[in-house]
Amino acid sequence: MKRKQLWFICILFIAIGLLVGCTGEKNGEAGKTEEGNEDNRTLTIALGTDMVSFDVHNHNNTSTEAIHINMFNYLVKRNNETGEMEPDLAESYENIDDLTWEFKLKDGVTFHNGDALTSADVKYSLERVATDTTLLDHANYKTIKEVEVIDDTTFRIHTHEPDPALLNRISRIGSSILPANYIEENGFDHFLANPIGTGPFEFVEWVRDDRIVLKTYGDYFDEKNEEWDEIVYRIIPENSTRVSELLTGGVDMAVNIPPSDWVRVNENEGTYLTQGISNRTLMIFLRSTEGYPTEDRRVREALDLAIDNQAIVDNILGGAGTPTITRVGPGDVGHAEHLYNTYNYDPERAKELLAEAGFKDGFEMTLHSPRGRYLQDAEIAEMVAGMLAEIGVTINIEFMEWSNYLELRNAGENKDAYLLGLGNSMFDAANALDYYRYDRFIGQLDYRNDEVEELLAAAEQNMDAEERNEQYIKIQELLAEDVAHLVLHQESINIGVVDHIDYKPTMDEMIYIDSITRK
Amino acid sequence: MGEQSKAIIDADSQVYMRKRNGTIKRWSKLLLRSKTGTVGLLIVFFITLVAVFAPILAPHDPNAINPGGLHVPPSWMEGGSAEHLLGTDNLGRDILSRIIYGSQVSLLVGIAAVLLSGIIGVCIGLIAGFYGGLLDNILMRFVDSFLAIPTILFSLVFLAVFGPSIITLIIVLGLTNWTSYARLVRGEVLSIKERDFVRAARSIGVKNNKIIIRHLLPNVISTFIVISTLSVASTIILESSLSFLGLGIQPPTVSWGTVLSDGRDYLATSWWLATFPGIAITITVLGIIFLGDWLRDVLDPRTK
Amino acid sequence: MMHYIVRRMLQIIPVLLIISFIVFTLVFIAGDPVALMLPEDAALEEIEQLRESLGLNEPFYIQYGNYVFRMIQGDFGESFRYGQDALSVVLERLPATFELAIAAIVIAIMIAIPFGIWSATKQNSSIDLIATGAAVVGKAMPNFWLGIMLILLFSVTLGVLPVSGRGSIAHLILPAITLGTGIAAEMTRLIRSSMLEILNQDYIRTAKSKGIKSVHVIYKHAFRNALIPFVTITALQTSTLIGGALITETVFAWPGIGQLLIQAVNTRDMAIVQACVMIIAAIVILMNLLADIIYRILDPRIKLN
Repeated sequence: MKRKQLWFICILFIAIGLLVGCTGEKNGEAGKTEEGNEDNRTLTIALGTDMVSFDVHNHNNTSTEAIHINMFNYLVKRNNETGEMEPDLAESYENIDDLTWEFKLKDGVTFHNGDALTSADVKYSLERVATDTTLLDHANYKTIKEVEVIDDTTFRIHTHEPDPALLNRISRIGSSILPANYIEENGFDHFLANPIGTGPFEFVEWVRDDRIVLKTYGDYFDEKNEEWDEIVYRIIPENSTRVSELLTGGVDMAVNIPPSDWVRVNENEGTYLTQGISNRTLMIFLRSTEGYPTEDRRVREALDLAIDNQAIVDNILGGAGTPTITRVGPGDVGHAEHLYNTYNYDPERAKELLAEAGFKDGFEMTLHSPRGRYLQDAEIAEMVAGMLAEIGVTINIEFMEWSNYLELRNAGENKDAYLLGLGNSMFDAANALDYYRYDRFIGQLDYRNDEVEELLAAAEQNMDAEERNEQYIKIQELLAEDVAHLVLHQESINIGVVDHIDYKPTMDEMIYIDSITRK
Repeated sequence: MGEQSKAIIDADSQVYMRKRNGTIKRWSKLLLRSKTGTVGLLIVFFITLVAVFAPILAPHDPNAINPGGLHVPPSWMEGGSAEHLLGTDNLGRDILSRIIYGSQVSLLVGIAAVLLSGIIGVCIGLIAGFYGGLLDNILMRFVDSFLAIPTILFSLVFLAVFGPSIITLIIVLGLTNWTSYARLVRGEVLSIKERDFVRAARSIGVKNNKIIIRHLLPNVISTFIVISTLSVASTIILESSLSFLGLGIQPPTVSWGTVLSDGRDYLATSWWLATFPGIAITITVLGIIFLGDWLRDVLDPRTK
Repeated sequence: MMHYIVRRMLQIIPVLLIISFIVFTLVFIAGDPVALMLPEDAALEEIEQLRESLGLNEPFYIQYGNYVFRMIQGDFGESFRYGQDALSVVLERLPATFELAIAAIVIAIMIAIPFGIWSATKQNSSIDLIATGAAVVGKAMPNFWLGIMLILLFSVTLGVLPVSGRGSIAHLILPAITLGTGIAAEMTRLIRSSMLEILNQDYIRTAKSKGIKSVHVIYKHAFRNALIPFVTITALQTSTLIGGALITETVFAWPGIGQLLIQAVNTRDMAIVQACVMIIAAIVILMNLLADIIYRILDPRIKLN
């Protein structure tokens, strides 16, 4: 009998011990985060999804680039305030003729292993993405023919055709400069496990689905980072968990705060919400393929007129977001101002148009939508379905997990419509409007407008900036007229931050650690 | 002689069955004696009524959005309206109506999946138990295989491959749950087949499939009923977990799982979005388990 | 005993083969991964080349044969997402999930033993009814809902426990409670019924009639005997535990095998999916075998055949 009692007492003690031990430890920890205001030089950022890979040419993923941007550099970078191109790794550059650009690298740039940056590294990096067709970012770089090394710090980029957007191209995702020697000596797999770049932060560790840790690189060539010794990115997929971490001070910043939690984040003592407009535009792509109702321009216009873009922004996006008719947003080269911050809404006219097109009693169509990829994407899809129901169009939504969604579109098995949020890291209309090129989506969207085709081809190689600008504005007007697809709104970026940190999001959705300062 | 012995065997087998299953009169007496059993039956009866008469009972269209009335709290709270008894969700849809309609799908998926797995499991259990030997061995290895893969894991992979819909959901839940039937039915058959009436039937040359259908099948029905009730409960829970993983029922169809999982982002701000479907699931599961436990007590000869 | 163990071990082989077949078939139906491995506008020849080099043009049974052959050598293929051997990626994640699972079992035991015994000794009382009801509620509450609620209560409102992630023991408590609750419900019911069964047996009745105090009776005889099925039940919960871990890990950003599998399914990293399922199945099978062996050791009444 005594033995049994002992047994029970043991269990009891273990239980109590566990509880006490835990709370005790927690107290110590809580103390640490609170005193951390002044002395804590570790910045913790909560992300919703893990990084894809350190292969900078092969991920095509904005949130991955938002981490890489602190480890690698581009040749030039776009100033987010002025929209001007500025030197980054390149000290100067010159457009020698329509097909040739000459660059000079800055002195004293080193990779994290101490090697100096040379023209050979640029040649390796850009030619890799320009020639290796298996890389996901290849399509954006195939205009580059070769990189000619003049000397250690001078090189020329030759393009196949005149490329007016070359500078925009090499200021973005997929054009990070990699260490050629390091990769050659150790192999690419070694680089992927131990990546080095020229950026202000160097790699420490990557525990998948858990954290990515970076530390300050002491020999960074540009302005040194004075604020942080260590950056920890934590991967927290569940929205409510990420918000809770922020509210309790478990992390210093949390991305993608859902609108329903904005008030909580702002009212909570110690945190606030910082917002900015992204250049990502939410759109519903329609099939113009023969046999689909949306083949008829009147039907497309009716759908557009039935959607109250402002109501979506106000009710689902908490007022943050801008209704628009064009995908080329402010700050992009070729932006058509008169088509931005406006939308068409007239459900009565929509019904008339449907009747004219022979759908007096409406029709049924399928909308594919991702869920959780863009801000409130599922809610937007359901709201759109509700609005279209008002004019008699029944929408069957198919929520799809992302890789299924990609496969479906690649195979051309998508039905009437799909919802997509597209960013534009080139900040150039060429990138945005290429989506309307007929060849690109044969069997998937089949939208064709011959006038748009001609203008696209002309503008793509037009080195006269002003004329090119006008061509792109004309294209947007034609597309708005023809209601090629349904453009909904430009998205907002919503980041929760603890009070002692200052941060303002930038339109490119990057998180530049250097711009995060302590108050 | 043959006819006569067959009749005796049949009578024998029926006596055995009746001894196990009892009559309706005995059942209702037993039912009323058990508090939990009565409560369980009442709950299940009520939920079934709700599901059947959903179109009449629901005050609103479960999918009608209302951009002007998002996150309206339940009517008894400040800011609530009598029009929406349990409030509205993140798109202004009436939560009560969604729960009422959701009962249809949740019960449909639960019952259909259980029937499917029951049919597969009972067949395999009967065959394995009756024939024994190598066939039994092979079938039981299949049972072991399916038991070794956690249900939710199998569903995750299966639904990712075939895409989520009511049909695939029923199939995958049916494919994962049959093992418990197979095991128990096999055990039952092993003991029943040693009884006199089965031996006698065999000795006078009654065909195997006839023995299975006439003598074995009716005798394993009670096992089938007991597992089925409990399986419906776990299927309803599983459906909500799959919704959480984004692989549940797709709109515009509504199920409790989707309503609950859609509401999870709003637990801190609009608690009613996820709480009411949660309560609906809990009450239903409670009722089904009470009923199932009672059925087991009544039907299982060991506990008598 | 040895004979029994060897026989059971041999049975594992066909079981693993069947599982590998099921998983391989599913992955095969899922379609070829080439579309996701190449950019959108890849030329047809490139696609064909890659298919050829991956052996995807072979008929089904040859592909399956190759797969099994490589699997026996411990090669589950390379994860295209991690660019690493799939098996090592999976094994890397196991400790985190084990940690969570063990903590969950500890919590479940701490809840289930007292409640199970309590309700069994007071059968059909209101305590019994409440305990049974609580067990059902624990079972009916979806993991993700409970997890989020626990975070809101203990982390956000009370501020006593960290929200998410893996680190100190404090980080373990909330996910372990979340995962343990469902199992505790199951365990309570089982302990109650096995206690009841034993309490009704003759030797307990005899002990009672001899006037031994009932508390003594319960602990000395009944509880000890109820422990036997309990041990095996705990082992048999492995499958439920791993299933629940899938969801708990997502809610608490716990870097275990559950999150790995969900990510792998989402990105169509089929090498990881296959390795995950096979490893998990193997663990479940081994735990079940262990349960059977312990059962036989503990309970001398069962013959070893």
